Amino acid sequence: MKTSIVGLGQTEFSKNSGRSELKLALEAILGALEDAGLEVNDIDGLVRYTWDNTSEAAIVNALGLPSLSYYGETEFGGVNCCGAVAQASAAIEAGLANCVVFYRALNARSGVRFGRGERVLAEEGDWLVSRQPEPPGDIYSAPFGLLVPGQHHALYAQSYMGHYGLDEERFTDMLGGVAVTQRGYANRNPRALLKDKSLSLDDYRAGRVITHPLRIYDYCLETDGAMAMVIVSQEKARELSGKAVDVLAAGQYIFPGSVPMYLYAEKTYSLAPEGAAQQLFGRAGLSASDIDVAMIYDATSMMVPIALEDFGFIGRGEAADFLSSGGNGPGGPLPVNTHGGLLSEGYFHGLNTIAEGVRQLRGDSHNQVEGAETAFVTLRGASSMVLGRA
Amino acid sequence: MTVIRPSDEYLEQPYYRHLAEGTLHLNCCNDCGAAHHPPSPICPKCRSFNTGWKPASGRATLNSFAEARHAVHPMLGPKVPYVITLVDLEEGVRLVSGIPEGMRFDLKVGMPLECKVIRFDEAFALPYFLPVGEGGA
Ligand SMILES: [Zn+2]
Repeated sequence: MKTSIVGLGQTEFSKNSGRSELKLALEAILGALEDAGLEVNDIDGLVRYTWDNTSEAAIVNALGLPSLSYYGETEFGGVNCCGAVAQASAAIEAGLANCVVFYRALNARSGVRFGRGERVLAEEGDWLVSRQPEPPGDIYSAPFGLLVPGQHHALYAQSYMGHYGLDEERFTDMLGGVAVTQRGYANRNPRALLKDKSLSLDDYRAGRVITHPLRIYDYCLETDGAMAMVIVSQEKARELSGKAVDVLAAGQYIFPGSVPMYLYAEKTYSLAPEGAAQQLFGRAGLSASDIDVAMIYDATSMMVPIALEDFGFIGRGEAADFLSSGGNGPGGPLPVNTHGGLLSEGYFHGLNTIAEGVRQLRGDSHNQVEGAETAFVTLRGASSMVLGRA
Repeated sequence: MTVIRPSDEYLEQPYYRHLAEGTLHLNCCNDCGAAHHPPSPICPKCRSFNTGWKPASGRATLNSFAEARHAVHPMLGPKVPYVITLVDLEEGVRLVSGIPEGMRFDLKVGMPLECKVIRFDEAFALPYFLPVGEGGA
């Protein structure tokens, strides 16, 4: 693509923002424009998740934008975090807009919680009733108690364990290698919700099991707040400050059974077929070995080993060795989620995952990878991106 | 005994109606014979709208399983821990299932399973899958 991310804005990560999602969205959007060195009136495009409770109308009206020539929505929330950037980029390349803001605002701790069954069930007498046509919590899976994404991830985890014959100890060391390493990154990131909470491998092992085989430390944080990013053409980005990071490739890749919750796809120990990596790296003109730092959407820690294998950063079945030996850590062959991830920084539904890739290529991450030129971002292959230093 | 059920409009559809009558039926293509799940108005293999229902053999393998220990709803408090499963039926479709309350098995990915339909009332039954020889089918 010939676009760049030129501005990032966000509120604080919190457990109770004390303000409306609209106000959070507006704060993040204004912050992103200021970061980009652009005027609010420069916004002529918006991209949002269908799941966001704020609307294009609310944003346009609240900000009094002179006009909006493009707005687009993407489905499945964080599944499409990179797809939203692809959409913004496509709109710019098609001449539909010049300055597109992608934002997400959510009170996901003080408001509706994704980790709770109440989101998908109604109480009717002695029964809980599902009317959901699609997972999570749909009419075919809810009666068995499969209600929230975190339980789905436990199914992927057990499938992976079974497929590769990992025993409990090796499996624990693998995911502990994700959670502990990312907490270390978060401890050096002043923005992170868990910046002051250390996590040792012993702490991890002693963690409460939520849905076996996943522990409390394998799960992302429920978070209130908002984030926004500004996307413009590379040409325009070159006229702005030196904060631009180029979108080398961004795209979507879904297939039968893979969305919304990956229940019905053929493999469950792998969450993206080879085509996803081929499409992404083909568009970027790069290969996995050219990537300096990876941001992997970690709704649970299990997303990390699977994405590393699915995109060819390591071989099939090698994740336990790679992660338990710190391959994802500072100085490792591929630092991963250097902000602390959704596990330890906070959960802005993938936007903070993208933002850390941008920061790494600007050279201003709190866990800066020296000389990073390229960053990879994905949510289990359903949407993915390669960013490059401008 | 589960405490979660689909709403009545879904229980009146063929998939759940067959279960309430005691058998697991799969949505199948009358032209190419392929089964699919969840039910759909069109066959995803040959795109025929001529679909119907056939009884499943009940034979399956265990794709994965997970034990929910944390109750994600207050009414599930008395139900945890419970086991959720993903099962691959020999007809080539996957179902979400589980282990019935009060039963415990040593589960292994890839193990053979057989179906046991459990009825909760005249309108509602679920297809569980048990290790072969443990009282299914
Ligand atoms: Zn057919």
